[in-house]
Amino acid sequence: MTAVDTPPEAPDADADDENGDEKTGGRWRIERRLETSWYLEVGGVVLAMVAAILTSSILISAAGSDVLESFRALYRGGFGTRDAFVETLVQATPLIFTGLAAAFAFRAKIWNIGGEGQLYAGAMGAYWASRILGDSLPSIVLIPACFVLAMLMGAGWAGIAAVLRTRFGVNEIITTVMLNFIVLNVLSFLLNGVWQDPASFYAQTDRMSDAYQLPQLLSSGRLHLGFLIALATAALVWFVLARTSFGYEVRSIGANPRVAAYGGIVSNKIIIATLLISGAIAGLAGASELLGTQLRLQPGISSDFGFTGIIIALVARLRPAGVIVVAIAAGALRNGATTMQITTGVPAALVDVITGLALVFVLLAAVMVNYRIRRPQTDG
Amino acid sequence: MADEITAIFALSVLVGAVRIGVPLLLAAIGEMVVERSGILNLGIEGTLTFSAFGAFVAVEQTGSLVFGVVAGVLSGMLVSLVMAVLTVTFKVEQVVAGLALNLLGIGFAFYLLRAIFSESGTDVLSVETWDVVEIPLLSSIPWIGDIFFSQHWLAYVAFASLPLVWFGLNRTGFGLELRSVGDNPKAADLRGVSIAKVQYLALLFGGFMSGLAGSFLSIFSTGQFFPAIAGGRGWIALAIVIFGNWRPGRILIGSLFFGFLEAYQLTLQAQGSDLPLNLLLAMPYVLTIVALVVNRSRSNSPLHLGAPYLRGVR
Repeated sequence: MTAVDTPPEAPDADADDENGDEKTGGRWRIERRLETSWYLEVGGVVLAMVAAILTSSILISAAGSDVLESFRALYRGGFGTRDAFVETLVQATPLIFTGLAAAFAFRAKIWNIGGEGQLYAGAMGAYWASRILGDSLPSIVLIPACFVLAMLMGAGWAGIAAVLRTRFGVNEIITTVMLNFIVLNVLSFLLNGVWQDPASFYAQTDRMSDAYQLPQLLSSGRLHLGFLIALATAALVWFVLARTSFGYEVRSIGANPRVAAYGGIVSNKIIIATLLISGAIAGLAGASELLGTQLRLQPGISSDFGFTGIIIALVARLRPAGVIVVAIAAGALRNGATTMQITTGVPAALVDVITGLALVFVLLAAVMVNYRIRRPQTDG
Repeated sequence: MADEITAIFALSVLVGAVRIGVPLLLAAIGEMVVERSGILNLGIEGTLTFSAFGAFVAVEQTGSLVFGVVAGVLSGMLVSLVMAVLTVTFKVEQVVAGLALNLLGIGFAFYLLRAIFSESGTDVLSVETWDVVEIPLLSSIPWIGDIFFSQHWLAYVAFASLPLVWFGLNRTGFGLELRSVGDNPKAADLRGVSIAKVQYLALLFGGFMSGLAGSFLSIFSTGQFFPAIAGGRGWIALAIVIFGNWRPGRILIGSLFFGFLEAYQLTLQAQGSDLPLNLLLAMPYVLTIVALVVNRSRSNSPLHLGAPYLRGVR
């Protein structure tokens, strides 16, 4: 293991000539812009969406379907009727939470990939609370208790990664990914054992009593209080990030940890706090889904909400208001995909492709916005 | 009698351990090389899925298993090429690009599957698979022969690739360049090593190996394709690289060990055992975290892993 320190045998010219650039003119290089403007940023996102839609159109017509009709069906299924729109908001609710959870951590450049696991931990916390409390108390006590335990469990699960990072210097990317798989297996263990509904063949709990059901917001449709809690959480996250000194510290660590340290910011405390908050928000998603729509804990309580939340946060450029907009769009896509598949035969999986393309194009647009390509006039 | 049953049970678990371990090993070797060049590729799951799909479609359309492997490998390299363009050329955050590729790899495979096969009306298509190749003489050794010398040819390729990759990394000029790019890209850059070229090649090799692993899943072991075919193996491969502390020998041990846990769990499940199987399944992930903590002082992790290299920026 000494090799790294010794120079390579021949620092030759032929290893390097793939760019074919002449020695005199300097080479094209990508540089970071010193400042960006909001219209460049918004313009980049809009351009990215157009690119994603165009690419998807090519895919649809390649599959032999009518492009306009497919997009119309997608829109009709997501926003076309009152019922469709309400269901879109139902689908968007967990995504707002997980999107905020990811956005908050990513602002500090902490790569919490564990939203999925923290969501499950939260749902387990909410269900656990219901096992402790039974149904003797009024809903006004039971529901907040479930949410509190959900936040604690989500925060605790993320906290493992926080401790591993701050005490042992272990990268949170890998640990949060591993913790996702661990919590899923722990849940399956419980659902095949002590938590299993004795009356059911399936790995799921019994149905929680109606006292735990979150209030419905509308007379028809499934929209529940969780949606309003998600909006309030977004407002709170915006306030903390934009208007408090803690939020300032979070953003400075994300912008440049070394400069933040010069400014007297103790990184470890901020890292722990950020991961705990991020985990708690993801935990809220679990409680909201359990008490709002399902009332029964089972392994399918999340359909990739945690991972989709990461994508949403990134497409929203880590802004809380953007997370709401993008989450509703993602909810509409999920919701409209079924209509599109039934009426035009375009596979519902197109939605994943559109989302993935949107992310890639947003990332590329961000590069265009944050960097510029130029060719230095002279080299020394 | 009881001894005989125990022996059959043990043998089936060990044979299964190697069979399950082979795609893990292939993907993990690829990822190790990629990470040694400084790129953290979280997109293995999507790469495996897309290449399993590519191999499956090629066999379904042409009937040629050889062509299936070629298509699987090319599909894997295509995904990793996109990763290279995003992370090396455009300096997109590697974590983010990897997650995007998971979504795209799985989404594209599923979309194209439905788009290509919607007319045939059935979702459960199956194609022929490669046969197991028994090595003459060696396969008749008791136990060892069954476990190691009665596997698919791709298993032998996987085992043979280990010393080759070790040699390439540790005993060749290119391996030295690759490791220096992963550990100290600035120094490598100053010495005239093309960072971009090294990282592109490393990622293409990673795509090649993941392509083989993905092909293994569809046209060696199952003969089918379904969107969840990778089943978390991409993440396990990532875990194995860490568990193996970025060393080929330990990565072999990690792949076989994780394969063993899975095979053991499957056998127990088939027998209707009362053991907590799910806790057994969580073991690889727990052990990976433990390995990260235990190895941290003598970690072989590339020093510049996961961060994009920008010339002139500290």
